[in-house]
Amino acid sequence: MASIWSLQFHSLHFRHRVSSNAKELLLHHSLSQRLNWIPLTPNRRFLLRAINDSVSPDKDQRPQNDVVDSAKHTLVLDSKHPLATFQESITSFPPVVFLMTRCSRNNFTMGLCIAIAIMVVAVRAYVARKSRQSRPGSVADLVRRGQLRSDRRGISRPLKYEDPFNNPLVKVGKSNSTVEMCGKLYRLAPVTLTEEQQAIHQKRRSRAYQWKRPTIFLKEGDSIPPDVDPDTIRWIPANHPFATTASDIDEDLAQNNVYQKHGVPFRIQAEHEALQRKLEALQNEEKLNNLFIDSRNAKDFQRPFKLNARSDELDEEGPINNPTIDNKPPKPERASSSIESNLSSEEMQKP
Amino acid sequence: MLSLQLFCANPKPTFRSPSFEPLFNPKSLKPSKLYQKSKPSPIYSVLQWNRTPELAGETPRVVVITSGKGGVGKTTTTANVGLSLARLGFSVVAIDADVGLRNLDLLLGLENRVNYTVVEVLNGDCRLDQALVRDKRWSNFELLCISKPRSKLPIGFGGKALVWLVDALKAREEGSPDFILIDCPAGIDAGFITAITPANEAVLVTTPDITSLRDADRVTGLLECDGIRDIKMIVNRVRTDMIKGEDMMSVLDVQEMLGLALLGVIPEDSEVIRSTNRGYPLVLNKPPTLAGLAFEQAAWRLVEQDSMKAVMVEEEPKKRGFFSFFGG
Repeated sequence: MASIWSLQFHSLHFRHRVSSNAKELLLHHSLSQRLNWIPLTPNRRFLLRAINDSVSPDKDQRPQNDVVDSAKHTLVLDSKHPLATFQESITSFPPVVFLMTRCSRNNFTMGLCIAIAIMVVAVRAYVARKSRQSRPGSVADLVRRGQLRSDRRGISRPLKYEDPFNNPLVKVGKSNSTVEMCGKLYRLAPVTLTEEQQAIHQKRRSRAYQWKRPTIFLKEGDSIPPDVDPDTIRWIPANHPFATTASDIDEDLAQNNVYQKHGVPFRIQAEHEALQRKLEALQNEEKLNNLFIDSRNAKDFQRPFKLNARSDELDEEGPINNPTIDNKPPKPERASSSIESNLSSEEMQKP
Repeated sequence: MLSLQLFCANPKPTFRSPSFEPLFNPKSLKPSKLYQKSKPSPIYSVLQWNRTPELAGETPRVVVITSGKGGVGKTTTTANVGLSLARLGFSVVAIDADVGLRNLDLLLGLENRVNYTVVEVLNGDCRLDQALVRDKRWSNFELLCISKPRSKLPIGFGGKALVWLVDALKAREEGSPDFILIDCPAGIDAGFITAITPANEAVLVTTPDITSLRDADRVTGLLECDGIRDIKMIVNRVRTDMIKGEDMMSVLDVQEMLGLALLGVIPEDSEVIRSTNRGYPLVLNKPPTLAGLAFEQAAWRLVEQDSMKAVMVEEEPKKRGFFSFFGG
């Protein structure tokens, strides 16, 4: 649509150049004004320029010239009258009326062109407003992805893929040395880097930058092992964030983990097996618990006889015997908590 | 609409006649030669119709994307070039080798799907295939993160681990991926050394400012010391208007300073930030943006081990008619 308009206006431009030989000036106006009043000379000649007129040149020029002549005539006569300005304003309007009454066909086409122009402006304003409101790639997408919690913003649509080699934005000139993209004109400049220049740069860099890949990683305070090229040692400062991680990953194990294609990963398998073992151990201990409690019950019956003699011994051996008693909690719900309590009680007795 | 490409289709990047790869309006140009499937001899300046790039080099191509200076666009480049490669039909695995600060998953919009990382694989908490996150938009693109922000990888260990990773990916059942892109962390510290260990080639991302160029030069020197010879650069965040006004170095100036072949020139584009917000890399935009097109072209050149032969320099703006405000 824009190209059609530009064609029309170019032809109109040409026509006006032809018709304005000495007395008329061409002036350029803004988008909003379709009918323009142009004060030209101190003699108050008003020239009407109907921009939206799209009729053939011959018909156009005759009524316009007639209008100009009649306007000039009336204005010259009344220039000194006190009501000159008022009359001038009145006489300046009639050209429009004359134009419209003389050429009814022009009237219709002019009205149509005005309507189309107004529609174009309205549509463009609407599209611009719409694109401003729903711009893709805004913070709304961050909300949608869950990165932002605010739900003040709307949701925008993602764009779809199009063939990237089919781009109407890029136009290459026929001489193959100019490219037009997005309203800017570019010239193609050939690259001037030769093989010799590349070799020169490589030599310069090899002289400037001497570096060997570090193979030994030492922390500060470690001694340098013999037969090691000092250039391949990397000293890790004590406050380096990676220095705090102990390299406790077994390299062979890690390599096997990387190459594993099927099955359960190693650590998960190991944890699972460890858990299974502990559950089995716990079940075995519970069986022993049941047996041990029966014998203890049997001993309780014997207590009143031996209590006085063994009371001191029991007090001394209490902390030793107690763990065995304490380690039989009444059927814990979780194996892990029992294991932890076992471990903690064992740790307490160790020192 | 048909798509045309002016192309120099020699996979070996030796001396070639000047050619360039812009995109054409098909109505104004016609092909001079028909599409050829077999390439017995190098073809110069042929217009091709919808040709897919042909993979050069050994599979898998392990490419590290590095820069030295932070914030120049390594992660953006990895995401966009990786997805472009996936869209061209190649299987891609992208590894975010930044151990402490992980960003590639955010850029791709996959942050909620990363459950396992390489640290868990090494510890034996999961298998390697469980740690790979497959992108639902392009099923031949997979992401692998080295670690979650709170876990750490021991320093002397990372390089070997990455080598094992690449070997394991090569040997996996669904076949070796065509490309393994490693997003390198900033700096030249342990993370950098880890990331470049398994790589065979490098893409150096730089911006046309002197600080970035100095770091890039240092990084190039280190890469060459480590044995990586195939280094190409992408100049990111190029403002052609500032270059025209001589406020910014031109891409040819950058090349003169670094002496590296050009893989791509990416113009400054505000769509980059919007695409980060969306979690949708800008190469997937419709209609494609200029930066997206540039990434696509860079991906194409990466596949064919090609480099740019001409760059675009902004000229005087086109003279527009009086009534151009009515339209585009």
